[in-house]
Amino acid sequence: MKVYDVVPGLEFDPEHDLAQSPAWFLDGTHSVPPWTPMFGWFWINFCRHGMQYGAQQLSLPTVKGWDWRFMNGGGYLTLLLVKSEEEKQRREARFKKAILPFIQDYDGLWNGFVKEILGQYEALKSLDLDKGTNYELLQNFEDTINTCRRMWEIHMYMMYGTYTAYILFENMCRELAGIDDTSPVFHSVVSGFDNKVFQVDRRLWEFSKRAEAEGLSTVFTKNEAPDIRGRLEESDKGKAFMKDFTAFMNEDGWRMQRMSEINLPTWVEDPTPALGMVKHFTTKGGSFNLDDERHKLSRNREAAEKEVLAKVPVEQRGWFEQLMRLAQKSGIFSEEHDHYLDLYTHAMIRRSALGLGRRFVQAGSLDHHEDIFFLIPEEIRRAGLAPDQFDLRYIVERRKADWQEWQKKPNPPAILREGFDLDQAMGVLVQSNDPIALKVVVGAMPQVRPELKADLYGTCGSPGVAEGTARVILNEDELHLVQENDILVAATTSPSWTPVFSMIKGVVVDRGASLSHAAIVGREYGIPVVMNVFEGTAKVKSGQRIKIDANMGTVYILDK
Amino acid sequence: MAEQWIYWFEELGSEHNDLVGKKCANLGELTRLGLRVPPGFAVSVDGYEKFMAKTGAGDEIRRYVQSRRDLLKQVDQQVEAGREIRGIIESKKMPSEMEEEIHRRYEVLCERAGMPDVPVAVRSSGAVSMPGQMETFLNVKGNNDVTEKVIQVWGSAFTTRAIAFRVEKGMEMDKTPIGVAVLKMVNAKCAGVVLTVLPTTGDMSKIIVEGNWGLGESVVSGEMTPDQFIVDKECGEFECTVSTKKKMVCRHTSGTRVVQVPQDMQCRPCLESEELQEIARIAKHTESHFNLPQDMEWVIDEDLGFPENVLWVQARPAKYSKKENEAEYLAELMSRIFKM
Repeated sequence: MKVYDVVPGLEFDPEHDLAQSPAWFLDGTHSVPPWTPMFGWFWINFCRHGMQYGAQQLSLPTVKGWDWRFMNGGGYLTLLLVKSEEEKQRREARFKKAILPFIQDYDGLWNGFVKEILGQYEALKSLDLDKGTNYELLQNFEDTINTCRRMWEIHMYMMYGTYTAYILFENMCRELAGIDDTSPVFHSVVSGFDNKVFQVDRRLWEFSKRAEAEGLSTVFTKNEAPDIRGRLEESDKGKAFMKDFTAFMNEDGWRMQRMSEINLPTWVEDPTPALGMVKHFTTKGGSFNLDDERHKLSRNREAAEKEVLAKVPVEQRGWFEQLMRLAQKSGIFSEEHDHYLDLYTHAMIRRSALGLGRRFVQAGSLDHHEDIFFLIPEEIRRAGLAPDQFDLRYIVERRKADWQEWQKKPNPPAILREGFDLDQAMGVLVQSNDPIALKVVVGAMPQVRPELKADLYGTCGSPGVAEGTARVILNEDELHLVQENDILVAATTSPSWTPVFSMIKGVVVDRGASLSHAAIVGREYGIPVVMNVFEGTAKVKSGQRIKIDANMGTVYILDK
Repeated sequence: MAEQWIYWFEELGSEHNDLVGKKCANLGELTRLGLRVPPGFAVSVDGYEKFMAKTGAGDEIRRYVQSRRDLLKQVDQQVEAGREIRGIIESKKMPSEMEEEIHRRYEVLCERAGMPDVPVAVRSSGAVSMPGQMETFLNVKGNNDVTEKVIQVWGSAFTTRAIAFRVEKGMEMDKTPIGVAVLKMVNAKCAGVVLTVLPTTGDMSKIIVEGNWGLGESVVSGEMTPDQFIVDKECGEFECTVSTKKKMVCRHTSGTRVVQVPQDMQCRPCLESEELQEIARIAKHTESHFNLPQDMEWVIDEDLGFPENVLWVQARPAKYSKKENEAEYLAELMSRIFKM
């Protein structure tokens, strides 16, 4: 093994990989900015494994999951298409049985997995990493690898099954009720549900109310987020507040500041982002607007359900309604899986790796504990039991230099075989009928309607019209720049962006489909979302006034 | 053999299935549940056996069957045997003590109805499900007619299908657990069925009511398109599809006949909103009592005021497409999205 292979066996190799597939797409949602080597190793190995596992367990007729490669910190993906008609039929016959658990007992299935994976996290956390032996630390890391592997199996099995139901519901709404997924009625039917992510946000809001009641408001309003913790510790009331807040963090704070990376602290290590949200709620005052919103949305949903059902012939309503209930789980799953699966597992990887990192620093094999993120498991195993015998600094040095290089130059959005263009490549994605490719990655192509004279054309992720100041945000670090009543313009959004949805008037994203984060959360907050405008972050500038009409899929820049 | 072989519905409940047959036990159970049921009485299985013993019909049938046991596997022989056995039964006169008892009960019914020769329905009430055991005589009037129809119902246990069924299952030919229900005919304004589940979809959140003018036979037989009402169990809101009802079944001098529905009634819903709500309410109540979706038959009595006019003649577990089939259907649909 060459020390500079970050993901041995899965490094992008132009010659052979382009012979295998003509188009490889950069996963811009998760691997921009480029990953640290360790995180890339985990993602490429196990996201890849999980998708192929999910596709196999469900026996998806047309696709065997995705293949992934690593290149300069970027994840590149392509689809593994089922090649022969005969095999498709064989898989289809099995699929009809394999999908039944989703239809028969969705909640039982999902809750069972949540329980299983939470049990694994608890087992991992039970080891005190500062007291364990070298062997125990290494074992904890190996267990973390297996937990990550299992997490991706659950993740992709559930996601494939859930989104398949959602796509069928969209199709059936179109066929039987004449309503498509860009219609406001459709969005009303699938929104107004509580989920774990919103519950955490609600807890944060409750802490803001407590701060108010206990006279601690000014600590939040007068200080910047990083200073709040220290200021609270200065008073008895503040100390008691922080004690409960820390308990809450230990329960629900196992999440990353950046969705798909491990090099930033979890909320448990550093509650600053969470305290920042309490500050936001304190400044804003009033009730938790998600509750008010949910109440309204639930009522709208009931009316919309009736409207849709009335259009469906009586004898078809039974299964249609069952399908509708199933499709409604998609939004809940989309949000909750991030909490229970991705974010939590990544927090576990960080925790276990840092334990080893500290041990390696003590033994002299590394200079800094976070340097562990520049190693891959094979190298960690080399030094795991007797770290004082090995010097890993030369590997770190070289990888860190590479990683810094990767940050300077963006990875190309796609790597294509000679003579193959992006439109053809997108065509392959659509033809695969891969539920995740269709609902999360590709989305509907916007219709350009010159008569509307818009500056950008997209699709409707969440209905409504809004006018306000544009705020272009390229990554999570800039989220604090968002102001009340802005219209957020981003390449894409992820769960760590959810809190800002409570203060903005609308969203424009370059890429997305009806089950993308921005669409789901936009619907829950009742704000318009225009998706798939492709050039939003390139054409709109922060501070410009813009008007968005999500129903029409249009964006207007008012002061050009 | 029990001494008593005739019972008022009020004396019965679902535990008396073997004694008086399903229909009678069911009517008893409905009475017990507080549902309004047309007044009437049940002739028990013991009554049938008493008749067979006293008249000698039982011995005759046994001899007849033994003489041709091997032949009975053939269909034409089964047809012949059915005719023969029915002939034996119907040729017998009701033993006088039994006749007196039936007449006594019938006269009490007439008294309760406040009219002589009150029209009744005489229906079979089998204790086990047996195909072909469906004989029902409507609009039967007077002591003699009632007794005669009871005997005919007993005879109807020996249709060709019923015989074939016994042969196939190796059941005794001369024994048949059959009871008879004798109940007052309702002067039906309209009648029909109610199911507490949508049978085609298994949707349990809805109640479906179907009805037509006149007696319920036109709805039960499925020969005419009835009015259809779908009621939401939760909120009570309903949708109705009113059909053009051209024909209905009415009482006739003796028996029933199909008549033309008067022009002005053809496109009018056969149920008033309050009647519909009452039917849905009681159906829901019955469903929760039995803890099973119900298939019930109702009649609205022309001569009574609301809500006394809502009467029930049948309640049984509904047959409907189960969720498993739906799940498979959904799985089938899901598999199609990979072909687009």
